[in-house]
Amino acid sequence: MTDLDPIEARTDEELAREARAGSRRSFEVLAHRYKRRLFVYLRSRTGSAEDAEDLVQDTFLKLFRGIGGYDPARRFSTWLYTAAGRLAIDAYRKGKAGRNRLAIDDIKDPSAGPEVDPGQSGGTALWDAARTLGGDRFRALWLRYGEDLTIEEIAAVLGRTGVAVRILLYRARTELGRRLGPARRPFAPGAASRASTRL
Amino acid sequence: MLCALSRWMISRAADTGKTPPRVVERHLRRCRACAESARFASSLPARFTGDKDAFLAAVPDFPLDEAAWTKEPARTNERTSLYRRFALRPVPAVAGILAVVAAAFLVYRLAVREPGPTPEDLAAGRAALQSLVAAPESVQSALAGAASSLEQERRVLEKSIASAAEYLQARLNIKIERKIPGQDL
Repeated sequence: MTDLDPIEARTDEELAREARAGSRRSFEVLAHRYKRRLFVYLRSRTGSAEDAEDLVQDTFLKLFRGIGGYDPARRFSTWLYTAAGRLAIDAYRKGKAGRNRLAIDDIKDPSAGPEVDPGQSGGTALWDAARTLGGDRFRALWLRYGEDLTIEEIAAVLGRTGVAVRILLYRARTELGRRLGPARRPFAPGAASRASTRL
Repeated sequence: MLCALSRWMISRAADTGKTPPRVVERHLRRCRACAESARFASSLPARFTGDKDAFLAAVPDFPLDEAAWTKEPARTNERTSLYRRFALRPVPAVAGILAVVAAAFLVYRLAVREPGPTPEDLAAGRAALQSLVAAPESVQSALAGAASSLEQERRVLEKSIASAAEYLQARLNIKIERKIPGQDL
């Protein structure tokens, strides 16, 4: 039985504070913790795995050099995704991203429902379905459910208002429900009252 | 309408963590579609969280370029190389500066500064002054001539005004008097 490295058990904010104080190891742990998550987010933005990987590298490079500017009062993930989004915009303006862009239909095809089994658990069906909703909706869902950010934090990351984020999530949920929810699942009596109490 | 509103309120409640209003709960008991929608929305957090690890595991792994973190920033390199290029080639820089200075001097000479008097102009001016000094009576006569011409002009104007006044007196049957007493029109 191997013991978990104590540094791995630390929270993002603790690691970010240590990195700010000069710990490279803490930043490495943070980078490895987030690289795939950031890749998923950026891939929906660039439409290309190669561009997304480049942007992940650029993001961690920028954050490592600018770690002194991290505000410990904020969540690290908010800071990270905000910086990544800005870099993606810069890359798009410079024409760097998009060289390897896939056809836009590969990324978002509202009419094409995913061939998934919504009842399966432990699979990727729900996230795969979310990916087909389109960039903005998927990113909002990812930040909300993948990163557990609040509406205000998502708004800050996406550069939108809170109401705009709520509308984005509402539409994403409605579309997901249309594809995976009521049409595919039998109605369970009494579910409504249980649902209302869980909300 | 109520269904759309209810679903919006359900979605909003899921975002804010608050319970939806009672009217929505009552609607959910009556509307099967909205109840399904609410149930689906409430199941999303757990389902997304449960699927997250599997979803991320399907993402291809890639190494991070950690060596680049400690490299000198590219922008600093550009600045340094620009400085070095400039420092190692002083001749073009100095030639450029000289060209700019020469161009500015030429512009000043040709366009900004007015040409001064020529020697001929200076000589003519001196001669005119000398002639005035040498013959003061001619100056007096020139001044008298100017004064007499002014006097003539004044008389002509006075006559014109007097003529106009007479015409107006005759036409309008009025009497126009001069302000200075003793002088009739």
